[in-house]
Amino acid sequence: MSDNVKRVSLTDIFLTFTVIGLTGFGGGMAIVAMVERICVREKGWISAEEFMHGLAFGQILGPFSLNVCTFTGHHLRGIRGGIIAAVGFIFPSFLLVSLLSWIYFTYNKLPQLQAALKGTNPVIIGLIVVVAIDMGRKQIKGKSSALLALVAFGASVFLKLNAAWVLLGAAFWSICSSYVRRRLG
Amino acid sequence: MTSLLTIAWIYFRIGLMFVGGGYVLIPLLNHIMVEQYRWLTLRQFLDGLALSQLTPGPLAMLATFTGFRAGGFPGALVATVCIFTPCVVLMLAVGRNYNRLRKIDIIGSTLDGLLPAVVGLVAAAAWNLGVSSLSGVKEFLILAAGFAIFKWTKVTPMIVILGAGVVGLLLN
Repeated sequence: MSDNVKRVSLTDIFLTFTVIGLTGFGGGMAIVAMVERICVREKGWISAEEFMHGLAFGQILGPFSLNVCTFTGHHLRGIRGGIIAAVGFIFPSFLLVSLLSWIYFTYNKLPQLQAALKGTNPVIIGLIVVVAIDMGRKQIKGKSSALLALVAFGASVFLKLNAAWVLLGAAFWSICSSYVRRRLG
Repeated sequence: MTSLLTIAWIYFRIGLMFVGGGYVLIPLLNHIMVEQYRWLTLRQFLDGLALSQLTPGPLAMLATFTGFRAGGFPGALVATVCIFTPCVVLMLAVGRNYNRLRKIDIIGSTLDGLLPAVVGLVAAAAWNLGVSSLSGVKEFLILAAGFAIFKWTKVTPMIVILGAGVVGLLLN
């Protein structure tokens, strides 16, 4: 568990992640960017490094938006905190999908929600870009880390490689280069 | 109606399998829901996919939709809980061991070495989302406004996103 000075209440965790789960339209990285903004920047619940480690694990282990919430919740209040964060995050989407499913199977058509998404998507992209810039400023120092970031970007955008594979490749690279450095230095 | 126990078992297995990434789920769920159990037609499956992507939750919210079809509201609840249980448990295990693992030199330095790649992946997500959803001047203007707000103000994301949703409804 964390050595935070003040204990964050479970209610606070639940409410925070419910609000994220209610407004984080765009899914996936949109959620990550929001959790970063709110839990790292606004509330200082978790450090930027720890958050990014959690994100790396989360991307390797499946649905990373949910995983990042679970990780942050666990960091704050252990197992209970993790479960509460996960439930809080999924809960609004669950209610929304249940409602929409009911409408769909009753009337056989989808409600027109796409129009709203046309407005939220660009804003989400803006948020993700800002988070990427802030993370990059802290994490990218020197040529080799800049190169690694570029290769990861290219592998995802142009080669359409799965994030888990990109990260496993980066881990392998990181192990090899630290081994070489130790040998030489 | 399928029994809740059957639903629980099916979705729990899917949850175990989808460690590794959301998009494995689409062919997997399609096979199970449409071909094997015939809970849905292909058309309904695709509509459900679109519908679950409307929400902030992960793609696996498709479990809620298909579970609803298979067993009503209780089915949706059981399906959702069961599909997410394996990855939550796994992530809790990671969190529990994280501080210990991080102190082991080789693991700590590998984790730190990974971080530039994480930055690259975050940027790639913005790029991929941009390619699929920035289609006109309007979108680029909203993007610029969003970027400026997040970069230079402390406005909380919820307000910006909800505001952008309203703008989207009005413009389209």
